[in-house]
Amino acid sequence: MNLAYERVSVMNTVISSETVTLNTKKIVEQCMGLESPFCKSRCPMHTDVKEYVARIAEKDYEGAVKVIREKLFLPGTLGRICAHPCEEACRREREFGQAISIAALKRFAAERADDESLWDVAVGEDTGKHVAVIGAGPAGAQAAIDLRKAGHAVTIYEKEEKAGGMLRVGIPKYRLPRDVVDYEYRYLDKLGISLKTKVKVGTDIAFEELVRQYDAVLVAIGAQKGNVVKIPGHAAKGVYSALDFLKEVNLTETISGKAGKVVVIGGGDVAMDCARSALRVGAKSVYQASLESLAELPASKEELDQAVGEGVDCHFGWGPVEIIEENGNVKAVRLQKIKSVFDENGCFHPQYGEETALVEADMVIMATGQVVEDVTGGALVQIGGGRYQTNSKTLATAMEKVFVAGDAAGGKIVVEAMALGRKAAISIDRYLKGEDLEEDRDFEQEWSYESRLDVPLPEGCRDLPRLHNNMRPVKERVCDFAAVDEGFTEEQAVEEASRCLKCECRLCLKECIMMEECGKCPKEIFEPVLAGQAIDMNLSYSCNDCGNCTIVCPHELPIRETFMESRKDFVRANGGDAPLAGHRPVKIHQTLGFYSMFTTKVCMSGKSVSGELCISRCGVSADLCDGGENDGN
Amino acid sequence: MAIDKEIQYGFMPGCSLSSYNPDVVIQTVAYLREALPGFSAVLKCCGKPTRDLGQYELFRERFEGLLTDIRDVKIEEMIFACPNCKAVFEKESQVKSHSLWEILPLIGLPEEARGKAKGSDMVFTIHDSCSARGDKAAQEGIRWILTELGYKYVESECSREKTRCCGYGGMVNPVNPELTRKVMQRRVETLADYPVVTYCATCRSTLLKAKRSAWHILDLIWGPVVYAKDEPPADVLEVPENVWHNRFKTRRGIAEGCQ
Ligand SMILES: Cc1cc2nc3c(=O)[nH]c(=O)nc-3n(C[C@H](O)[C@H](O)[C@H](O)COP(=O)(O)OP(=O)(O)OC[C@H]3O[C@@H](n4cnc5c(N)ncnc54)[C@H](O)[C@@H]3O)c2cc1C
Ligand code: SF4
Ligand code: SF4
Repeated sequence: MNLAYERVSVMNTVISSETVTLNTKKIVEQCMGLESPFCKSRCPMHTDVKEYVARIAEKDYEGAVKVIREKLFLPGTLGRICAHPCEEACRREREFGQAISIAALKRFAAERADDESLWDVAVGEDTGKHVAVIGAGPAGAQAAIDLRKAGHAVTIYEKEEKAGGMLRVGIPKYRLPRDVVDYEYRYLDKLGISLKTKVKVGTDIAFEELVRQYDAVLVAIGAQKGNVVKIPGHAAKGVYSALDFLKEVNLTETISGKAGKVVVIGGGDVAMDCARSALRVGAKSVYQASLESLAELPASKEELDQAVGEGVDCHFGWGPVEIIEENGNVKAVRLQKIKSVFDENGCFHPQYGEETALVEADMVIMATGQVVEDVTGGALVQIGGGRYQTNSKTLATAMEKVFVAGDAAGGKIVVEAMALGRKAAISIDRYLKGEDLEEDRDFEQEWSYESRLDVPLPEGCRDLPRLHNNMRPVKERVCDFAAVDEGFTEEQAVEEASRCLKCECRLCLKECIMMEECGKCPKEIFEPVLAGQAIDMNLSYSCNDCGNCTIVCPHELPIRETFMESRKDFVRANGGDAPLAGHRPVKIHQTLGFYSMFTTKVCMSGKSVSGELCISRCGVSADLCDGGENDGN
Repeated sequence: MAIDKEIQYGFMPGCSLSSYNPDVVIQTVAYLREALPGFSAVLKCCGKPTRDLGQYELFRERFEGLLTDIRDVKIEEMIFACPNCKAVFEKESQVKSHSLWEILPLIGLPEEARGKAKGSDMVFTIHDSCSARGDKAAQEGIRWILTELGYKYVESECSREKTRCCGYGGMVNPVNPELTRKVMQRRVETLADYPVVTYCATCRSTLLKAKRSAWHILDLIWGPVVYAKDEPPADVLEVPENVWHNRFKTRRGIAEGCQ
């Protein structure tokens, strides 16, 4: 909207009063209009969940993929295996324990509409800088993409035959078909990222060599070494680390050792992957034992349910104390009952009870954590789990031009690895441009955080149940490596997406037509005022002074007051007169409204003018009596 | 509250009501004067439009003049027909303020008005002015009056403190009529689908512009019984000549009434 000004110059000379300035400050600080929904703020990559879910509900799948791809180059992959922290944060989860199936909807959109001809392959102007990335897992790939898009040349060094990291060698195929990974990783190639596979840094090429050759080096090697608990017998034939076991199964669909009776040690998702993979390579029985009780189990409920459903025999609260061998081969595992896993400070400190159990085994898989294996020849300091020591805000290391990302920097899941990759890329880009790594940087947006959204549930909101995916029958699925989850049908996807509450505040904008037309929310509308500009005069004079905004605002922000108050500032700047051309008739009207011909005052009963009691209905008209001069100008 | 015999009450009808219908103002003045032991009346603008334009100093000057008038006729507590005037006094002065709609339930309706519409088939809905969104006593009073007259009414979802602006608030119309039209339209859409009762003459006029039949509550107290088939009184506020003619007529009526 643009209203006619009486004098255009007014806008340039306006000085906001103290009231306007203080109110504005309060609005900009407290308004929740730009606050992210719970799902989005919790996603380390800040995928615009609400938006793409809405597109799916409208059956605009191409639109949905476009929104997802603004943040994620792996929609189909994450749609299947993302640990989805967003779902724990979802308002429907908090209110009713029925989160929107955010990840599954992402997969649905990707399956329906992800088309490489629509991928954004634009890259920035060549900067002449060249970055080496070690590791083509999600962290290295994400960093490479961001750096390439910023115009830097990027070369990835990868020890395996193919890129993907744990997406290829860790996560089982029945959860993540590899054609999905292959397809989505094509993006790197399209951007012109150079990928050197089967080059193991530290062995085939020295780390220092990369540091010497490149303008910056990113270490994104993941935590690729499986931890084996050093109990007696741990070196027997048939004892595997989870990662050795899974890598072999993932690459060959078989296992070289004898998979008769299998015991899996561990209670996390990796343990469940081992147990279920063991079933698929022909194990006769799978016995899973974890230190943690069921309530403490780190594995997700989904994974546990599927493992149990497929016939894994789960035992919670048991710790391995000895592996019994026969001729160097595994024969059995002795387990001991656990009293408690954590001490009073919540630290890992298992206490054993008396009871023991002997479990026969041909194979023992230790899913007891992964550690980072150094590739720098000790050039970088390693801390717990082998992770490299970094500045956690920027991922810079003590070594000039060297940065770390992904699990090697403390990530735990794929989307975190990607967020760390992005964070490192931002730092590297700044470093290459000679900029300060921290100045004016919004670190909150580089990781998950708690949304400050505090709004009532939308009117009429009901508890609607979460829709689950369609799983292949157990009997059929445990015999092969094909995907167990068949995803949503279109009807299911649309129904599920329609449950989204579209979390946001902007309650005032639903009331105020004027603000709705002028910006996203009061925060956005008033922000320029804090930067020293005057409130837009058009807006100020278009406020109806109705107060509906403040009534619905959870913080009762003084929006109307500020608009109305700011009018005084415009008048002051305009020499005491109202500034808009349309105000002329009002001014005339007002002059008349105070003119004696149209005004009067009379004392009709009660006390007389002198203060004595006047005779009832005496009819003293001060106005008429004093000659009618009552022109209040 | 209760009526205090020791207090000199003052009534101020406000500009829009006196411009709309002098008769109902004059009759109200006469009725209050009978009912209240100490009574004065003031006809003048409260200055809200001046204040809304942002001309605060000019407003203060004008408002001080009004406060002097009030002192001149010994008023101790004010009674307002217009929710906007009342809001201005509450914000800008120390004068104790009541709405007419709070007073009428205390002194009762005139004998001849009570139950007069019992036979009417009219069902109204109520538009609370946004300036009265916090005035529970006024909101209750309007509902009490309707029932006392014998009319039926249906509540709208956006009513009382959740009411919506008619579109004329904040002096937006003179500078941004397009926006006013939209706000007006939305108000009409959020009102239950019945003829409307208002207690602000400007709101009434706005609703008529949005093609909704509407009556001022004083039309119902002093005017003829209204039936479902009846057309509402015309929108006189549309025409400036009417406005000033009526305002003058009101002034004369009040002045004459006291002789
Ligand atoms: C069995 C298993 C299941 C998992 N399931 C899930 C899941 O369902 N959902 C989820 O979100 N997360 C899951 N995770 C975690 C997730 O896989 C990791 O957090 C993520 O892959 C880490 O990414 P990254 O890029 O840091 O490391 P990686 O994915 O480990 O990639 C590191 C890359 O560096 C390469 N590399 C290592 N050393 C060298 C070297 N010296 N020279 C050259 N290249 C080298 C590796 O070959 C690899 O390609 C799982 C992990 C495991 C082990
Ligand atoms: S209901 Fe929708 S917008 Fe709200 S947190 Fe859940 S997915 Fe996000
Ligand atoms: S109601 Fe409006 S002003 Fe208040 S927090 Fe929400 S968006 Fe901001």
